[in-house]
Amino acid sequence: MANPPVYEPVPLIYRESIRRFFFQGAFVAFVVLVLAFVLVRINIADFTLGFLNDPAGFQLSNQWLTDIDGSIESRWTVYFGAVWSSLRVVLVCIAASTVIGVVVGVARLSTNWVISRLAMLFVELFRNTPFYVQIIIWYAIITFGLPQIDDAIGIIDSFFISNRGIAIPWTVPNSGLWDLGDWLVGVWVALLIALGAAAMALRARRHRAERATGKPQYANRWAFGLFAVGALAGYLLLGGPVSMDRPFIGDNDYIEGMVIRPEFASLVFGLTIYTAAFNAEIVRASIQALPRGQTEAANAVGLSTYQRLTLIILPQALRQMIPSITNQYLNVWKNSSVAFAVLYADLFAVAQIFNNKVGRALEMFIVIIITYMLVSLIISAVMNILNRRVAAAER
Amino acid sequence: MAEMPPAPPPPEPAPPAQRKIVLPPHRVRAARPRSQRIRDWAHYNLFHSRGATALTLVGLGLAGLILAGVVWFVFFEADWGVVTANRWLLFAGSFPHEKAWRLWVSLIFTLLLIGSAYGVWASFGRRDLLFIGLAGAFVIFLMAHGGASAESSLWFLIGVICLFAGYLVGQIVPRGNDEQTPIGAMLFRNGFSDPRRVRTLATRSLGAVMALSLPIILIILLAFGGARTRELDGFVLNLLLAPVGIVGGIVLAIPLAVGRASSLRLVSWLCTAFIEMVRGAPLIGWLFVALFILDDVIGGELLLRTMITLAVFTSCYMAEYIRGGLQALPRGQYEAAQAVGLPRWRAMQLIILPQALRISIPPLVGQAIALWKDTALISVILPLRELVGNGRSAIGQVEFIDSRIEAFIFIAVAFWVIAFMMSRISQRVERTLGVGER
Repeated sequence: MANPPVYEPVPLIYRESIRRFFFQGAFVAFVVLVLAFVLVRINIADFTLGFLNDPAGFQLSNQWLTDIDGSIESRWTVYFGAVWSSLRVVLVCIAASTVIGVVVGVARLSTNWVISRLAMLFVELFRNTPFYVQIIIWYAIITFGLPQIDDAIGIIDSFFISNRGIAIPWTVPNSGLWDLGDWLVGVWVALLIALGAAAMALRARRHRAERATGKPQYANRWAFGLFAVGALAGYLLLGGPVSMDRPFIGDNDYIEGMVIRPEFASLVFGLTIYTAAFNAEIVRASIQALPRGQTEAANAVGLSTYQRLTLIILPQALRQMIPSITNQYLNVWKNSSVAFAVLYADLFAVAQIFNNKVGRALEMFIVIIITYMLVSLIISAVMNILNRRVAAAER
Repeated sequence: MAEMPPAPPPPEPAPPAQRKIVLPPHRVRAARPRSQRIRDWAHYNLFHSRGATALTLVGLGLAGLILAGVVWFVFFEADWGVVTANRWLLFAGSFPHEKAWRLWVSLIFTLLLIGSAYGVWASFGRRDLLFIGLAGAFVIFLMAHGGASAESSLWFLIGVICLFAGYLVGQIVPRGNDEQTPIGAMLFRNGFSDPRRVRTLATRSLGAVMALSLPIILIILLAFGGARTRELDGFVLNLLLAPVGIVGGIVLAIPLAVGRASSLRLVSWLCTAFIEMVRGAPLIGWLFVALFILDDVIGGELLLRTMITLAVFTSCYMAEYIRGGLQALPRGQYEAAQAVGLPRWRAMQLIILPQALRISIPPLVGQAIALWKDTALISVILPLRELVGNGRSAIGQVEFIDSRIEAFIFIAVAFWVIAFMMSRISQRVERTLGVGER
């Protein structure tokens, strides 16, 4: 007759749930202590953002589409103007670095020895030097290497390059033939957006039809044709709501046209090329991760090199590279903070100026970090949506 | 029970003559004259179609333009006076001249370590020697101040001798597969009775010295009447801060990564919040904190605060890569560790972390290189003048005001050399540790 075994009750300290509870409690207590210490030391009771409502007292340079007068407007307004300055840089860099990155990344894998070596040179050169130094070099080249404004290099009297920046013709709204006022341009832009949407819809429809019937439907040509004809017709009907303004050289500066200032140009140049070198490596790695059979199959069905890349290789590589590319976009956004090294007034530079005036480092830092995080979140969210769409297209 | 059918005879191996050649013609190691092989190579890689020929010509033209531009700039246009006159400023800044031997001793110590590490874990290739030679010439150039170049050449010679001595000693250590290197076999013909123990001893002691190398170098530079901390600037400061940040970063990153991957919710949340907060702001934002806010919190020397900032900043990026490695491990590893009865901490230490770290080596090295380049940002915010900061003061001199392009190109080259060497060494390490292999 066997007695059922009698188990001693497990002591409390060996119980999983109790252990977890105590361990987490200790950890949280530690963090709270550290946090309390930090908050006391930085004198958190003094925290105020009121000073941001006072007038900024300096002019925000490098504005575009905004006209903020720093001597009357509040610091908040100037700060948001500076955020817009940063965003402009980042948007241009993201677009340009992606295009250059794809081109260089593909060139890196070219069977043509000369081309692949040149691409490798580009990548190794720009990836392994600090972007900050690169930006300073671009700035030095633009401001010291290019001619003075009086001897600006002019190309067909419309483009000028000098150490005051690059001037290109740009659109200005005008009242048009029917003299209906500047708001007409808004109508035309709205029309363009609508046309764009319509063209995309048409393209998608023609693509579907092509897939269903197997007959060529020339989706891109139709979409582009619709857009171009619509835009031109709208332009003529509205009596020409915009005109091109050519820049010319006035008294020691450009007049009219669009002027890309050396600060903006060097920042965008430096960041774009630096990021493009990283993007090129990402593109190369994701193409190499594809099975070789994809290239061979594309060759076997007789696609040209261009078709092979755009129809077979890059769409598949895209899926692989979106997470890493997203990281690079976030880096562009964060790296743009060195702007003030070339005297470009981005949000970090403006925050520093505020701090120098009122000595509120903590407040300014919190404002900055929230701005950086918000925009980072937006970039990640957009890229996640793209990622999901690309991944969904898989099956 | 039905009778098993007789096993089919094994298929005849296809005669090698019928195998289809998939290699491009120049890769086929047939007995063909060299000129023919070169012609095949050129045809296959450069001129196989009209488009390829056009592309090659455009590429060659571009390469020629770049080369001509570089030659024109370097030899005719540029005035390198700003660099030659300011070498000491760029290299060591306000480090006192008469204490230069401390820099040399640290350099020699580093070279000894690099040499023995190479000897133990790898073997020199021709390219490595080339790079070491180039870097050496660079250092001699930088440290040769005020006509003392004979002295610095002597120091450098000692450094090179130490490098090779370390390498030779390292080569004596048997390889991981118990085999001896050619050099080791030459010196110890009979081999070791217990090669594995010799290797363990050697790698452990070398690892210990490497772990202690940063404090040792700081002692050599600063202690016993050495330089004051604020006299550390120029390139020396970059070379000091980057390793501190990298080592400190890895040390901090491991607990952060384990904490974030932990099953304890609160721990995981807090670690995640910390990592995401640090990653949310750019480095110069955190340097701003080091300058203005950390001063109130912990006080202390600015140099120390900068080191802490760099380490914490890097650790948060590294923690994400290590977490990736933790997630990439098959669940079976965790379960197997549990099944053999290892406590959770021991399992982490013995089973999980070594594998996770091995997986995450490539991105960790990438992060280390990123930190190396980021040390260029220090003088943007802080009154610590590393290489870029001293470059700015070099072009502030009246006679060099027009040479800023030259000065910054030189600085870019200095950063490039080290970053490129780091990436090459990391490829070496990856191959040696067999990253990506099972």
